[in-house]
Amino acid sequence: MVVKNASALLRVLFSSAILLASANLYSATGDDDSWGDDAWGDEAETEQGLQFHGFIESAVGGRLSNDSALQDDDFTLGELRARIETERFIDGAFSHGASSDNSKGGALRLSAKLDLYADGVEGGGDLYLREAIADFSSSDDVDVRVGHQILTWGTGDLVFLNDLFAKDWQSFFSGRDDEYLKAPSTSLKTSFYGDDVNIDFVWTPVFSHDNFISGERFSYFSPMANSQQAAPSGKVIPVEPSKTFSNGEFAARVHGSAQLLGSNAEWALYGYRGFWKQPNAVNSRNQPFYSPLTSLGASLRTNVASGIGHTELAWYNGDDDQGSNPMLPNNQLRFLVGYEQELLPKLTLGVQYYFEHQLDYDALTKSDGGSIYRVDEHRELWTMRMTYSALQDNLIMSWFSFYSPTDQDYYHRPSVKYRFNDELNLTVGGNIFGGEQAHTFFGQFDDASNVYARLRWSY
Amino acid sequence: MFKLIVKPALVVLLAASTFSSTLLASDLTDANEIVANANLTSYYAANDGRSEARMLIKDAQGREQKRQFTILRRDRSDGGEQDFLVVFSRPADVRNTVFLVAKKPGSDDDRWLYLPGLDLVKRISAGDKRTSFVGSHYFYEDVSGRGIAEDHHQLKETTDQYYVVENQPVDPKSAEFSRYTAWINKNTFLPEKIEYFDEGGELYRRVEVLASELVQGHETVTKSRVSDLRSGGQTTLEFRFQAYDLGMEQAVFSERSLRKPPREWLRRSK
Repeated sequence: MVVKNASALLRVLFSSAILLASANLYSATGDDDSWGDDAWGDEAETEQGLQFHGFIESAVGGRLSNDSALQDDDFTLGELRARIETERFIDGAFSHGASSDNSKGGALRLSAKLDLYADGVEGGGDLYLREAIADFSSSDDVDVRVGHQILTWGTGDLVFLNDLFAKDWQSFFSGRDDEYLKAPSTSLKTSFYGDDVNIDFVWTPVFSHDNFISGERFSYFSPMANSQQAAPSGKVIPVEPSKTFSNGEFAARVHGSAQLLGSNAEWALYGYRGFWKQPNAVNSRNQPFYSPLTSLGASLRTNVASGIGHTELAWYNGDDDQGSNPMLPNNQLRFLVGYEQELLPKLTLGVQYYFEHQLDYDALTKSDGGSIYRVDEHRELWTMRMTYSALQDNLIMSWFSFYSPTDQDYYHRPSVKYRFNDELNLTVGGNIFGGEQAHTFFGQFDDASNVYARLRWSY
Repeated sequence: MFKLIVKPALVVLLAASTFSSTLLASDLTDANEIVANANLTSYYAANDGRSEARMLIKDAQGREQKRQFTILRRDRSDGGEQDFLVVFSRPADVRNTVFLVAKKPGSDDDRWLYLPGLDLVKRISAGDKRTSFVGSHYFYEDVSGRGIAEDHHQLKETTDQYYVVENQPVDPKSAEFSRYTAWINKNTFLPEKIEYFDEGGELYRRVEVLASELVQGHETVTKSRVSDLRSGGQTTLEFRFQAYDLGMEQAVFSERSLRKPPREWLRRSK
């Protein structure tokens, strides 16, 4: 690794040193020998004043090999990040129904999470609004969450079928905390809770796409250019859908639980109308764009033996009904089945099998001019997660792997996290990609393989 | 040979202890009944309840960690199935994490975890119940209760204050102890001290009640401690702001509460 960007590295190391020093100072002065009398937190105080929490994190990550497509390929991660979180309850703001008593329900919760960061890889610093929400119950059976929020549903472990909420793959690949895989969207979520059936409805007025691999930080393989591409010339700048009501995203989940073979089984049905979250379509002017997507799906999660089994199905229906337009994604059937069990005390193993089936593959083969980069009709993927915690849960070792026997490529995510105390923790990990071919899903990121370290002080 | 010598000695010891204690007519003599009462007192007081809890975890080097959380509990049946909702407020890195448990004595519990950073409801596979609970020296089973049918119980001694009950696992492979002794208060039925012994007969773990008080007619632990005598670490657990029979519905213990913790029950009553 040639250190061209030495000043960025120095800045990060310097701030890490300050962070460590301040953390030590904190533990020396802030920790009492026992809980003080006031340590329970005076509720009256928290209701009137705001409490602030969050973290300060210093992170650095480097590529394991050179990526000739990138101009500056030293670092995959190099940042100092400060998170500020606060929440506030306003009781009695939404009194309704029979319970006009202010102490029961009717609370409005406001929550905000903001990151300030200095980025040594892409340069500069910025504010990043992670969350700004209002939570309330509009009636006894209806919860509403409105604002900039993280949304997740579905049963997969790092494999998403019916969860078509925005993801941040750049953060995921570069070794930021797992929470950054989910990107926020400005949405209205309404949840209705019935006796047997619950319904979630999410409306995202302005389409919220993934933070995909665009050529910045990581290069990608372009079938049209027949080579690995990166910013600035190869940066993917997709055409976004116009901001109209009908271009908003609509997602729904109908879910409940039922006794199945003596176990509590959680079932769900899903629907989505919006766009593919990544620009995998090309228009007549050769510009990438997000093509329309409608999906329907279902999932089931229940106890199996002494572990948890889950399965999920999704039918992706796009704009190319016949499958004959190679510039649009083919319709797909996606299927997932997985199982997780504690093998030994504190050692958990999870395995998933997933496939993606192109529904109009024959039509595609007739229309794409025999492209050697055509996706397989049937892409299979296995995942494995192994987690072991030790030293009173202060040490957590984790290994997650994706492996595709059809694409012959892989993505390994080893990590070790150590909690020094309640305030300070260190995470060291890697993102290791590889494959037989340069154009496959993980194979194209061969040169993106990296190792990283993150030091976080929480407050 | 050895057995022949030891047995009379035991008889003498037992006789001595019988003389020293005041065996009252009202005393219970059935170990199973005593343990069943202790189980109800410790884990099934009233039909439901809420409590705030905080842990001070100290390792052998004196390094400290803290946990603070609020527990909601509702019994489906006395001594049987019950549900727990645990909402963490400290430390900062687990703040607003929520843990939901459907406890099923004699079978695996159903467990879910809500991770607010990812808005993720994760179902957790049933694990070994005798491993650390949230990094403390308490085991998951100390907090939620150990099924009374999982051990053979034997009343060893009845003193002025305590029923001393010896317990051995029905399935020796299911637990890390070979036996444990519980000192169960004769009046309150709270197990005030429990000592765990390994296969070599060595005492290695102790759980003690340090303080308790009467809350709405239920004797309630307000401070307890577990000591890991091998490592020298210990965790002190304090409970405050307990309230019983709040009238919580079953629906409180559902995915809805994981995503939006029920403030109605979590906030302190005035």
